[in-house]
Amino acid sequence: MILTDKRTTLAAAAALGVLAATPAALAHHGWGSYDSTALTTLDGTVQSVSFGNPHTSIQLEAQGKTWFIVLAPPSRMTTRGLPDGTLRQGQTVSLDGYVHKNEPAELRAERIRVDGKSVELR
Amino acid sequence: MEHAGAGPAWALALEHSALGETLRQALWLYPAANVLHVLAVVAMVGSIFAFDLRIMGVARSLPVAALARLLLPIAAGGFAVAAVTGFLLFTADATAVWNNPVFVYKLGLIGLGLVNIVVFHVIPWRGVETWNAEVPSPAPAMAGAFVSAGVWAGTATLGRLIAYF
Repeated sequence: MILTDKRTTLAAAAALGVLAATPAALAHHGWGSYDSTALTTLDGTVQSVSFGNPHTSIQLEAQGKTWFIVLAPPSRMTTRGLPDGTLRQGQTVSLDGYVHKNEPAELRAERIRVDGKSVELR
Repeated sequence: MEHAGAGPAWALALEHSALGETLRQALWLYPAANVLHVLAVVAMVGSIFAFDLRIMGVARSLPVAALARLLLPIAAGGFAVAAVTGFLLFTADATAVWNNPVFVYKLGLIGLGLVNIVVFHVIPWRGVETWNAEVPSPAPAMAGAFVSAGVWAGTATLGRLIAYF
C-alpha cells in the first residue's frame, strides 16, 4: 500500500515535471511560429517539389536565397486545382505568405500564383 | 515540423519505407488515419475519465467492477486503434516528429499511463469487492485515478501540441 502510494506519487511528480518542461522545449518548426503581422510576397523559381502529407512543400529560389515554402496538404492542393505534377521544378511562381519567426528562409504560403491562376491555400 | 534529414537511422528508414511513401503520397490515407486517431483518443480518454471520476467518488452507488466491464474495453480498444493510427501518422514524417520534443514527452506520458494501469491492477484492484459500491475508494485507487486523469489529459494535450512546436 505504502509502496504504491510512493510509486504513484513519483509517477505524478514525473508527469508534472514533464508538463512543466514542455514550454521550455524551444519551438523547432511549428504552425504557430509564423509572423502573420507582415504578409510577404515572393517571386521565384521552383527548385524542388515535395507533394506529400502532412503538407506539400517546395524549395524556391527568390531574393537571392533558397526558401523553404510550406503549402497545403495534398488533398487540399488537389481540390483547389493544384494536383500532383502541376508544380514542377523550373517553374516561375509568385506567392504571398508569412515568414517564420526563427527561420528567415522559411515561409508559410497563404496563396500561390502559378500558370496565370491564383490558388488560396488556407 | 519540416526540415527532415538529420535524425536516427531507424526514423529515416521508417520514413523512406513503402508505407511512409504511401502515407505521404495518397491523398486521403493520412487524413483518414488522423480522423481515426482522434476518434480513438476520444473513446479512450472519455471512458478513462468516467472510470476515474467514479473512483474519485462521483456516482458512488454504481459498482466499480461493473463499470469496469463497460468502460475498460472501450479504453483498451481506443488505445489499440490510437496506437496503430498514431504509428501511421508518425511514419509519414518520422524524422521531423521524432525531433520534436513535445512528441517525445508525449511518449513518456503514455509510458507513465501504462505503468499506472499495471500498478492499479496489481494493487488496489485485487480488493475491489471491498470498495465496489457505496464506500470511498482506498487511497491507492484514488491516487491511481488522479494520476490516470492527469497523464491521459496530458497525453492528449501534448499530442495536439505536436503541430505547434
